[in-house]
Amino acid sequence: MNENELARKWALLEPEQRQRRRIDARVRGWLDASESSLTAQWLSLIKVHPVAVLSFAAVAACLVVVSTPLSWLARAVM
Amino acid sequence: MIATASRCVPPFHDSLVSLLFSAALCSRFGGEAIPLEEDAILDLVERARSGDRAAGQRLYQQYVDRVFRTVRGILRSDVEAEEATQDAMLTVLTSLRRYVPRSGTRFVVWVTTIGVNTARRRFRRRRPESRDPDDLPAVTDDAIDLEREAENEQERRALLKALAELNEREREIVSLRYGSELDATEIARILGLEPANVRKILERTRVQLGTRIDALLNHGVKT
Repeated sequence: MNENELARKWALLEPEQRQRRRIDARVRGWLDASESSLTAQWLSLIKVHPVAVLSFAAVAACLVVVSTPLSWLARAVM
Repeated sequence: MIATASRCVPPFHDSLVSLLFSAALCSRFGGEAIPLEEDAILDLVERARSGDRAAGQRLYQQYVDRVFRTVRGILRSDVEAEEATQDAMLTVLTSLRRYVPRSGTRFVVWVTTIGVNTARRRFRRRRPESRDPDDLPAVTDDAIDLEREAENEQERRALLKALAELNEREREIVSLRYGSELDATEIARILGLEPANVRKILERTRVQLGTRIDALLNHGVKT
């Protein structure tokens, strides 16, 4: 087998389209995450899922408000 | 091809990664990126360093398939090669500021060194050859395509099996020669060997691979 024949065979190790797509997607995802700040990621989340994010924020706020008197009550009962 | 790639990029995609991804897909459907001259590559490197996103995207296009071909020759599975390619290309794109051009050394040598080092780390973990169900050849309806696909797959397996029988150093040398298309001097620089020694190993390994591949193809390849 000469140089050219082996080079031709080596071309068979080329990534298939779906392999290449996976590589592109992973590189894209990583760079995307590293390029955007945490604030930007939160803001984009609000943009994509405004209802879910607002609901989550409302529940979190309620928990903060409710948990303090509940802990007092629990201590008093115990 | 470059013009085709830039046409494929939607104007609203303003981040490097979106451009990069779109262009990469264009590359697959429109064939491999045309290799650029070294001066043009160094110009792209400079522009990418100063924040030119399109330049980063074109560098990615130039090297991603070449890195895959190289690390696939070193590693034991497609899955590992995909991961190593991804890691290596990320390192290349995020470390451009650290690249120092040297006279007589092409940029591809730097990229390939990163690819080989990434592959080495994975190779030494000694994971067995694996075949993900996702890695099975894509099914097409065309009988001629199927026949050709089957032949190609047979040859590919024979090559990979023959490569698996080589030692680590030999695998690296032939992968750099045929995957990255480097010459003996460049390979010697990456691996810290004498060019004459690289030529000798290359010649011997090429003959060995040829004999083994022929034998495997004549007797049917089992993976």
